[in-house]
Amino acid sequence: MSLLSQAISDPEYPMSRPTRLPTDWKSDVMRKRIARRYAAERRFRLLGMGAVLLSAAFLAFLLVTMMGNGLRGFTRTEIALKVDFPASPLLLDPATITDEALSQANLPMVTGAVAKKALGGDADVLLSPTAWISIRDAIKADPKILGRTETIRVPASTAIDLAAKSKGSPEAEAEVARLKQLGVLSTGFNWNFLTASDGTDPTQVGIWGAFKGSLLTMLVTLVLSFPVGVATALYLEEYAPKAWWTDIIEVSINNLAAVPSIIFGLLGLSIFLNFLHLPRSAALIGGMTLALMTMPVIVIAGRNAIKSVPPSIRDAALGIGASPVQVVFQHVLPLALPGILTGTIIGMARALGETAPLLMIGMRAFIATPPGGITDPATVLPVQIFLWSDEVSKGFVEKTSAAIIVLLIFLLAMNGLAIYLRNKFETRW
Amino acid sequence: MTEAQSNLTIENPKMSARDVKVFYGEKQAIKGVSIDVDMDNVTAFIGPSGCGKSTFLRTLNRMNDTVASARVEGEITLDGEDIYAPSMDVVQLRARVGMVFQKPNPFPKSIYENIAYGPRIHGLAASKTDMDVIVEKSLRRAGLWDEVKDRLHDSGTALSGGQQQRLCIGRAIAVEPEVILMDEPCSALDPIATAKIEELIHELRGRYAIVIVTHNMQQAARVSQRTAFFHLGELVEYGVTSDIFTNPRQERTKDYITGRYG
Repeated sequence: MSLLSQAISDPEYPMSRPTRLPTDWKSDVMRKRIARRYAAERRFRLLGMGAVLLSAAFLAFLLVTMMGNGLRGFTRTEIALKVDFPASPLLLDPATITDEALSQANLPMVTGAVAKKALGGDADVLLSPTAWISIRDAIKADPKILGRTETIRVPASTAIDLAAKSKGSPEAEAEVARLKQLGVLSTGFNWNFLTASDGTDPTQVGIWGAFKGSLLTMLVTLVLSFPVGVATALYLEEYAPKAWWTDIIEVSINNLAAVPSIIFGLLGLSIFLNFLHLPRSAALIGGMTLALMTMPVIVIAGRNAIKSVPPSIRDAALGIGASPVQVVFQHVLPLALPGILTGTIIGMARALGETAPLLMIGMRAFIATPPGGITDPATVLPVQIFLWSDEVSKGFVEKTSAAIIVLLIFLLAMNGLAIYLRNKFETRW
Repeated sequence: MTEAQSNLTIENPKMSARDVKVFYGEKQAIKGVSIDVDMDNVTAFIGPSGCGKSTFLRTLNRMNDTVASARVEGEITLDGEDIYAPSMDVVQLRARVGMVFQKPNPFPKSIYENIAYGPRIHGLAASKTDMDVIVEKSLRRAGLWDEVKDRLHDSGTALSGGQQQRLCIGRAIAVEPEVILMDEPCSALDPIATAKIEELIHELRGRYAIVIVTHNMQQAARVSQRTAFFHLGELVEYGVTSDIFTNPRQERTKDYITGRYG
């Protein structure tokens, strides 16, 4: 006989239970308890909303400052220069315009003389040191203008540019007022900023060299770290026996992901440059160094993604006679891929914004031509930003902000691509 | 096989196990089980939870190999061939001894791809037409063809639980196995879906040797002709299903059948 039936058959059964009053769900104590619970809910929700608002405010502040400063970096002040070619000291035959002839024509000097004549006084200092390039390009585009007077827009000097856009020195402000009266001042999109590389004068610098350097570096990083990271994650999850040495590898990889990035720079310096003697300042070395840094992130994310593939899928495939390699590559990897891609993009985004390790391997050099390949000297966007932020000339402030905008756009494009790929490979259950 | 365990002799067994012991690390999960399984009958393994019936089932196509700590002793043969011998290829073994799992586990791919995957990796179809024939035949045998023939390229995971399980049976059938192992195939299904699977097992009997693990004694009585009762890692009794349920020889079997424990 069970204990329960024993209890029920006991004649004293109902009496043997301790008496207990029915709960009064409407009592004051209950009401207070409910009020407290609601208050806690409200408090927590307000706290959460506050946190979201605070971070949104920071983001808005960042974006507004960046845009405010940076967008000016994409425009330039131009001066319409009336060039009377026949009267100028330019000795060029319209019939034989070659690059060599143009380079021997001493265009910078001619430009200065023309400016003095057209705008009076020391007008040559009002122009950017690169103003002659605009004239050269105009002659190249149409040699016939050498026979007549032509108005050509040339970039203004940094001082004029600053004074025209916001606030410059009193002298520059006065010049701007005078030029405005002459009606020669205008604002144009600074294509030069997107096509040129680093330079000494803020009016002539561009982001293309650093952008291309970043692109090449990221390419090297991806090509090295993605396959190695994924293969490591697959091996550790699917094949490696659970032994003491796999535990050590796991701990080491987790630690590597937390190592300060400058340490990787030192590693790259001592191995790739001092030991292997690979070319200094090149995207190849930058990419290899950043790959060392990115790989642990991919391994960790990859292992988590692989772990979250349901074991029932492995059973299903093994159960109809798939070999372990087939299980891994036809079932586990496709299902884990979205998660692996998410991890990869986190690692790559971190690598894209990294400056410190690249400084260690010499990618902070002044490089005025875009790299042609991964072994050419190059710099990357964050290093370029760092270098420009260090410049004394005021004109670099807006260039720095503009470069930051380019970096952010690069980052957004990369993330967008990753999200697209992730959704494409995502399996709907 | 000790005489106490068995009250039947099986001629020409498809698979037979002799004194099989399974260890998980230090723990012994199966304590010397000997059993024969034949082609013409459905064999049911019953017993309380944790008695080792699923563990034993998984030794029959070496699915325990995937558990690092598992160790199998004794001898298991398929058509007289030792399946744990070094010369036995485990991939081929699993194609010959198919398995259906407790929870329906179709691949997150189309219905067609679910069936076609096995024949494709084993190179059983020479052409697309061959594959179409295999897919249709397998789905017909699994009793699913009429329900899915118009949506073969929809995801297998969009089917109902019962349909998914029949898809998994179809997937196992598609590689033409000799033995099909079913590990509680109905435990996640509703009664109507369960009835369909049981009907299917009846239809498949004779074509494949079928071994089914179940915790549902009524199911064992309905679908099987041979029943083995496992308890605490031992094979307590093995015999003709009707004998086990009406006239068990062992006290423990009787206690289990009458609901004293389990």
